[in-house]
Amino acid sequence: MIRWFHFIVLSLLTFVLLSSLLVDREPLEQSKSYFLERGTRETGAVNLVTALYLAYRAYDTLGETIVLIGAVTGVLVLVGKHK
Amino acid sequence: MKKTNILDVVSRKLSPFILLFGVYLVTFGHISPGGGFQGGVALASGLLLILLAQGPMVLASSFPIGRISVLEVLGYGLFLLAGLAGFLLGLGFLSPLLPPPGTIFILNIVIGAKVGAGITLICWHLFQEGEEQE
Repeated sequence: MIRWFHFIVLSLLTFVLLSSLLVDREPLEQSKSYFLERGTRETGAVNLVTALYLAYRAYDTLGETIVLIGAVTGVLVLVGKHK
Repeated sequence: MKKTNILDVVSRKLSPFILLFGVYLVTFGHISPGGGFQGGVALASGLLLILLAQGPMVLASSFPIGRISVLEVLGYGLFLLAGLAGFLLGLGFLSPLLPPPGTIFILNIVIGAKVGAGITLICWHLFQEGEEQE
């Protein structure tokens, strides 16, 4: 009984996750052409990857640095020398 | 670990060039492929080559572990400060304040220093833990 319940939940989850593939691609194409046309002009970075992660999505990069500082803190707590 | 002449010479000659390449990746991150994260890892690998081949004492003489920890926290603080500066000036959080490549250049250097310090710290402590177990 409970196995059937798991099966149903998993198939529903799979459907929900795969349904993102069916979404109309129009917004993605718009943002791609926007970055290709104006990315270098607006941010001054020839490397569009850098233009994305430090200008358009700098807030995301701030979160990534928090992840790294969390990893360092974890290592120091677990294996660092306690004086 | 037995220290051979090959290991000694190669690590001493190679690590400055790895560090130089890391600095190049960080400072040219907005022009050529690269950037703060990749350049920071290259910087850390240069330091870790010294650590593995020459021992922790040689690395600590030029890069003390206390200062590397301070650099790690300082990098995060500077990034946050760059964001808050735009916020306080009424332009929005992390909005560019300098003329176009300026903000990206500075943030790349900050991230490069921070990532290099972080990876070096992680590997340093893990290696020390491994040597104590032996």
